[in-house]
Amino acid sequence: MSAYKTIWKKEFKDALRDKRSVLAAMSYAFFGPMLMAVAFFFLISQLTDPSDVKISIEGKQYAPELVEHLRENGIVERETDWPAEVTPIELSIPENWAEAIASATPIAVTLRADWSAQKQQTDVKRVEQALQAYSAQIANYRLILRGIDPRVIQPVQVAKQDMATRGSKAAIIMGSVLVFILLSVFWSGMNVAIDISAGERERNSLEFLLSQPVSSQAIVIGKVLAASCFALFGAMLSLILIPVIFSFVPLHQIGMSVDFSLEMLLIMFLALVPLALLATSLQLFVSFRAKSFKEAQTYISFLLIIPMAASFGVEFARLKTPLLYYLPLTGQHQTFLSLIRGEAVNWLGTGVSAVFTLLVAVLLTYLIGRMLKSEKTVFGL
Amino acid sequence: MIEVKSISKSFKTVNALSELTFAARDGEITGLLGPNGAGKTTCLRIIYGLLRADSGEALIERVDANKYPLKARSNLGIFPDKFGLYERLTVREQIRYFGELHGLKGGTLEKNVQSVIERLDIATLADRKSAGFSQGQRMKVALAQALVHDPKHLILDEPSRGLDVMSTRILRDILREQRAAGTCILFSSHVMQEVAALCDRVVVMAGGKVAAEGTPDELCQLTGETALEDAFVKIIGSDEGIAA
Repeated sequence: MSAYKTIWKKEFKDALRDKRSVLAAMSYAFFGPMLMAVAFFFLISQLTDPSDVKISIEGKQYAPELVEHLRENGIVERETDWPAEVTPIELSIPENWAEAIASATPIAVTLRADWSAQKQQTDVKRVEQALQAYSAQIANYRLILRGIDPRVIQPVQVAKQDMATRGSKAAIIMGSVLVFILLSVFWSGMNVAIDISAGERERNSLEFLLSQPVSSQAIVIGKVLAASCFALFGAMLSLILIPVIFSFVPLHQIGMSVDFSLEMLLIMFLALVPLALLATSLQLFVSFRAKSFKEAQTYISFLLIIPMAASFGVEFARLKTPLLYYLPLTGQHQTFLSLIRGEAVNWLGTGVSAVFTLLVAVLLTYLIGRMLKSEKTVFGL
Repeated sequence: MIEVKSISKSFKTVNALSELTFAARDGEITGLLGPNGAGKTTCLRIIYGLLRADSGEALIERVDANKYPLKARSNLGIFPDKFGLYERLTVREQIRYFGELHGLKGGTLEKNVQSVIERLDIATLADRKSAGFSQGQRMKVALAQALVHDPKHLILDEPSRGLDVMSTRILRDILREQRAAGTCILFSSHVMQEVAALCDRVVVMAGGKVAAEGTPDELCQLTGETALEDAFVKIIGSDEGIAA
């Protein structure tokens, strides 16, 4: 067996027995999506207020069908009095309702409310919409009775797609989910990366390992692969858990549907493989320079800011430049965004960024190998 | 055979070794004796290729460790200055790991691992994780790691430090056994008793140079002293940094 495989196998076994490393890899994947789902729950319950609109209805005995229609749409007669500071929403139905309906003449229904009152806007709008819907329904019946296709009076149909606050809020959170998946490769392998570099030095086993008849490149490759396995394990867990957890979140209530197909998850996982190699080689590069576990942890926490800032920055600044498709990290991010939006994926960009990511990882691995040959780094001279 | 030929090494402004030359022969135990800071560890690290000499050669079976460190190391068993164990692995797993790194595999690997475990009498420890081992137990595991591939040369950097009398005796017995098997053993120490009890030849180092070389008796004759310790003090010209 070649040396790098021996080292890979040993480091992996060693890390698996380290409860701290395993927990670190798993907790991120477990608690992250949980937290996000909770945030989603709150957002949705805020956006969609399912409680009934209570209004005063005057003359409801004249039009029981209308009242029933309103009730079906969540608009009911108020039983309590209006609070003093709120302008009442009042609907009055005239006495001649039934008569006018029968003779197909227009009826004036009065809706009295304060349209400028911020808090009541949704309520008033809902009443208006319900009334209009009822009116349209009756119009349709009348046309059908007269043998006319109701569509003749709807020459233009407006398909409304709400791009307003609720939509963009949801997009931001969905974006954070993607960033979360991207960062999983940075988080999950972190502890292992520190343990097999700075930890190895701290436990005084580095000198003996480097004195074996094995090239420092093979040592580094074995270590990068071991830590990457953990990074990818964390990524896989998040990819599995996120669809499961989000299937319990009522996304459809805010007009959002996220469909995590198996194919999509597989593509995401494949895109994360080079990123995991990059993340761990970067972490090893930094923590091989540290003299102790603690010191490495400090450096790596700073290091974590880079991918976080990069991906959240792109996400929130709505940065749009074609370059993003080809760079490490942002390339994977863009691929994920396209996948989740159901857009066509820029496969060229995805491929180029994967190769680019891999090249940077290989370069870093090579540099660590060279570093371990230098007595300066090994003995901290 | 380990030959060190006029090695010089300096770190920034410190001149650690200058024109150091000596040899350790097969089937002999050669002691590298010197006070703290004499350059013993630096010298050994150059021999196993972890440090690069500024000039000169360190030859192991005529392979220069500075030019071909991997080839040179494959002939070496090393007991380094710092030997940390992998505390989450069992002793057997650790020994096997280093056997594999030396290119052993399959049946040979298992046979070597088992034989070194028996030779060092650590069968009861073999399937335990090394967390919480005593210093003596740790020494044995480190030694087993160094010996698993049956090296023809053994380099030990102050192997007896921190050991109690019993462990030291075990260490000596193991080294004598290895010598009897024809191994070339080079070890550094600043403990006089140990060198006197164990070594066939002594290389006294001071200030990065060889101050004297010979059997313990020869060194005593050379200085006209009866005890090696007195001879040593006379050779290096001070009694700083020596443990009796």
